[in-house]
Amino acid sequence: MTDNGFTITDEQRDYSQFNLEENPFPYSPVPKNDPEIYCGQEHAAKRISDTVSTMLSTGKSKHLVVTAKYGNGKSHTLKYTRSLVRDRDDVLVGYVAQPGEGFRDIYHEFLYDLGFDRVQQLAYEYLAHITSDITDWHPSRPDEMCELIDEGELLLSEIIPTAIQRLNTVTQFADFSRAIVHMVYEDTNLYAWQWLTAEGIRYEQRKEMEIHSALDDDTTSVRAFTALKNILLELGYTGVFVFVDEFESIARLSPKDEQATLNSIRHLMDQNSHGLCLLFACAPEVWQDVMSEYHAFSERIGQEVALRPLTDEHLTDLVASYLDTARVDGTGGIAPFEEECLQWVHQRSQGNVRQVLSLCSRLLDVAADRQQTRVGRELGETMISD
Amino acid sequence: MSLASLSKRAAMLYRHRTLKTPHGPLETPVLFPVRNIGKRSSDNTPEYADSIPDLRTAMVNTRAIRQRGPQWDRLLEGATIREEMGVPSKTILYADSGGFDYRSKEVDTTPKQVLETQRQLDADIYGTLDRPLSPENRAVENQQRIEESTTYALQASDAHEGEALLFASVHGHDPKTIRNTLRYLERKGDFDGYALGSLVPIRTDYKKVTKLILSARRVTDKHLHVYGLGGIVYQPLLLYLGVDSFDSSAFIRSAGNRNYLVPGFGGTELHSIEELEHLPCSCPVCCSRPLSTIRKDRNLLTQHNLWSLVTELRRFRYMVAGDYDIEAYLDLRFEHNEVTQRAYQMAKQQVRRFT
Ligand SMILES: [Zn+2]
Repeated sequence: MTDNGFTITDEQRDYSQFNLEENPFPYSPVPKNDPEIYCGQEHAAKRISDTVSTMLSTGKSKHLVVTAKYGNGKSHTLKYTRSLVRDRDDVLVGYVAQPGEGFRDIYHEFLYDLGFDRVQQLAYEYLAHITSDITDWHPSRPDEMCELIDEGELLLSEIIPTAIQRLNTVTQFADFSRAIVHMVYEDTNLYAWQWLTAEGIRYEQRKEMEIHSALDDDTTSVRAFTALKNILLELGYTGVFVFVDEFESIARLSPKDEQATLNSIRHLMDQNSHGLCLLFACAPEVWQDVMSEYHAFSERIGQEVALRPLTDEHLTDLVASYLDTARVDGTGGIAPFEEECLQWVHQRSQGNVRQVLSLCSRLLDVAADRQQTRVGRELGETMISD
Repeated sequence: MSLASLSKRAAMLYRHRTLKTPHGPLETPVLFPVRNIGKRSSDNTPEYADSIPDLRTAMVNTRAIRQRGPQWDRLLEGATIREEMGVPSKTILYADSGGFDYRSKEVDTTPKQVLETQRQLDADIYGTLDRPLSPENRAVENQQRIEESTTYALQASDAHEGEALLFASVHGHDPKTIRNTLRYLERKGDFDGYALGSLVPIRTDYKKVTKLILSARRVTDKHLHVYGLGGIVYQPLLLYLGVDSFDSSAFIRSAGNRNYLVPGFGGTELHSIEELEHLPCSCPVCCSRPLSTIRKDRNLLTQHNLWSLVTELRRFRYMVAGDYDIEAYLDLRFEHNEVTQRAYQMAKQQVRRFT
């Protein structure tokens, strides 16, 4: 369809002349949820690995702030790290895309990222834990526990009182304990979930679960988070990872709200000397302000690692890694890009990852449209002047 | 358009069965009228066993009888409970444990003792010792009661022998607990049926009660009794949900409040009706007596009320036998009451999913 200069087609571009199945560079600047490639930034990788590994190996809490200018791969770094720890079965991992208006929002997003099913599984895991203690059954997984109940192998009403009592000791938060237990009842699990995610529920619904307080502010959210983490430690987990992206957006809050948010995070860190790893991604200038204005907060995080713009060498690695994901002949390298072209990309992007990927993506498409087999520097220059 | 032209088998769980008992076969679904034998005479159940031929059933309270000294002594000396009640010897008796008294009291008996008394009463159906729940209790307390009742039921199962049927009393205020408890009992014990309790205090929450009954119906094909909900409004709903039997004292209590029960209408206070000479019912009580006579005589009123409960059941059976559209019938029945209508609509959806 060609009309007034528009050409809209569903015909796919052909990348076979480059020995590629497709254009491997992302069109959208949003990082993939499960990135496979991580390039350059060895120093950051080392610092992050160290932070994460310390928590995994010692159980002691450790936190880190990753700073970088816009487009230099903060979200990518966070998501990549998350993909490394997410599949471990001894930790719980949650991603918060934005801190929102305060800690309550961070907590809310964290729980939402875990999801209803995961939290329900935790409830069953806890029941399994109690069951192993007070009966002859030793269910090891949530679904096994669920089945024992459904099949009537064991009596739910025998398990629940002990579960509630023990949960209260573990969480020091009776309402939280009851909400967790109610995750297994189909009549009330949606209310329980709403309460647990700090969404707020009607008084009658709370009453039905014997929950007395509302979970609706930063203070109770910190308490709830700590309660959840304590349940995990009781179940033998090593700990919880919280990835908070775009932390710089707290600068948009009023000074009072910003301080309140930072204070809540500080309380969270103080209450959780074990089993917690917070990773923040933040624009450097906002982090500088936090460091200088809120000592109580910065002292506790202390650690910061700055992502750097890509060097020529990193850029070459990055492009090669992306090309590898679509390469048909297994040759490797930067072909069809010419070295000079990548140098041009480097100058033009100043090593900004997002721009590098975007330029490479467009270059490859233009080359495909022109049915060229190589992508040279002059193509980039024409592309820009077009 | 006549009802008959709507004729079709609706998706419903209603079932017709024959239960074998020591005093003969029992056609279900069936009502067990609660018999307050020996209490204050005003509470007494009127004679019905001879005048209502399809009501050769009664529900008695084991604990209450056991505690009534002189009567218990007579029973020990050879009198039969049926004689004491003045009912035919073929009357089929369901003896519940009287656990309702243990809502607020400590349990002062054992499953074995209850069984002994039930045997002594020559009951046909034994309800196991139980501790009903209360919505006012803490959840943990109710959980403990559920566990207690379940343990009692299993002890009764171990101790039970003979021809009489044993129904395990089951409690719970959520479907998961009901399913779990029933399956647990099914697995560990030996019961002829199950009796769902603790529904009376939450009876106005039709939605919840419906869900609980369905969750029990879903788990077992055995006889399912529901304690205490056999009143004029609940009955059609219970039948539709596939409940096999129910008991009620509503006919006595209503008469006490001068409430005149009519199927499809529920109860009407008689003092609000002035100008009529005759009431609309064709039962032996109402067909020939003027309103003024019935209004004055609580016993007559009780008797009529019982006829109403039976008529309700007969009518439902008739609809099924005649292959009428039960759902259309129930749509009409619940049309006038928003609450029960909503409950029925929900029950209908769940039943359709279920069948
Ligand atoms: Zn009548």
